[in-house]
Amino acid sequence: MKTLSFVSMLLLFLFCFSTQSYPETLSSSEAKITQPVDISNPQESEQEIKLNATEVKSGTIKAETSPENAKKTGNFVQETSKQEVIEEEEKDETVKIADPLYPWNKAMYHFNDKLYFWVLKPVSQGYSTVLPEDMRIAVSNAFYNITTPVRFVSSVLQLKIKDSVNELIRLLYNSTAGVLGLVDAAKEDLSISRKEEDLGQVLGSYGIGHGFYIVWPFIGPSSLRDTFGKIGDGFLDPVNYVSPVESSLGITAYDKVNTVSLHIGDYEDLKKSAIDPYVSIRDAYTQYRKKKVEE
Amino acid sequence: MKKGVFTICFICLLIPLISFAGTPLDSVKAQINKVLDVLRDPSLKGEAGKKTKKAKIRHISDSFFDYTELSKRTLGQNWSKLNAQQQEEFISLYKQILEDAYADKIVTYTDEKVNFGKETQLTEKTVEVQTVVLTKKADIPINYRVIQKGDEWKVYDVVIEGVSLISNYRTQFREILSNKTPEALLETLRKKVGKA
Repeated sequence: MKTLSFVSMLLLFLFCFSTQSYPETLSSSEAKITQPVDISNPQESEQEIKLNATEVKSGTIKAETSPENAKKTGNFVQETSKQEVIEEEEKDETVKIADPLYPWNKAMYHFNDKLYFWVLKPVSQGYSTVLPEDMRIAVSNAFYNITTPVRFVSSVLQLKIKDSVNELIRLLYNSTAGVLGLVDAAKEDLSISRKEEDLGQVLGSYGIGHGFYIVWPFIGPSSLRDTFGKIGDGFLDPVNYVSPVESSLGITAYDKVNTVSLHIGDYEDLKKSAIDPYVSIRDAYTQYRKKKVEE
Repeated sequence: MKKGVFTICFICLLIPLISFAGTPLDSVKAQINKVLDVLRDPSLKGEAGKKTKKAKIRHISDSFFDYTELSKRTLGQNWSKLNAQQQEEFISLYKQILEDAYADKIVTYTDEKVNFGKETQLTEKTVEVQTVVLTKKADIPINYRVIQKGDEWKVYDVVIEGVSLISNYRTQFREILSNKTPEALLETLRKKVGKA
């Protein structure tokens, strides 16, 4: 009995000891442990060779393997991560976008920036003091519900049968149980979440690239492909069929103000975090659209 | 009896091996829950509370993120253009920019929930952990890319709505370094954090 309690104590002690002290012992002897493992790993040496090949090809990262640097960066662990870094960067090249209209785009970026700070933001802030957030969310739900045709047709054109059906269910359920789309009841009751689809994504899924980056006044970042998509979306948006045109434009403007009122601060944060906001937005747009097309 | 004791001791020796590193999901979960605990702490209110929250989150992020790995991967091939001293300064400036940008944002969150999704193996040592932040306005997918460092998983990239943080900064830094020196880049960063 005594031995048993002793053993259980030992077990407890060892367990605590092992979970707590392991990090330190390991990190201090990291190099010792990992090095032999890496050497014995045939894949690793293959990677080394590949790394050298890339170096010769690009010629720019030769300095990394100079003796001084090798001493500094140390062991094989970092070598592997360097390899990964390069692979990651190569993958990254596919996300790039051409920007031949740079002068126009930059001008439009500044235009939209001023439009936001001088007009949209103050108007949206005033609006949000009148209407509480929950109601503004309801309004944005309703607008989202109205644009169902855009997502339905886009899903069909990508042969996404399940998504198409979900769009129809969402439309029917939210228009009725969701009180004219004001409540996203389909998400709450049926767990059918939103899924953004548009014709730009359809073109993308057909293998059509962006072409080049283009910033439109009022609308913001886009590309040649997505501009065509957007025009098509316009034909599928019921709001554009409201007549007279003034009412249609009025509704669109209201939608925009309502949306901005729910996202005040987002654009500011983006600008604040960026070193070069124009480049940051361009890259974010490209990455974001790439993911949407892949989804 | 002796045999039994021996077996138990043997099992004890195995325990550290089993608990070694844990899964990436578990460690991301643990760190995020720590942050959520800070955000929901009812004793931290008002401006002073916000400051304490920021400091606490900064402390958590220090052990959650691997800023060296993050910096290296951000600069990619350009990393070698910086000398050792410049690299060190870059890491600290970049870290400060990220903290300044995101700490302000995070402390505005209070009642948001986080759902944890699946893990995807990216390479031998890296894994992507999917999460979704549920806000009143929208569900925001945020994926954490982690790398195994010793027995821990450390974040080296955050992918928000499909936008990779390091890849976004890489594009910006690359543009700067294509026609400017590393020193000029550092100067830009110093200005950004208000240290120039």
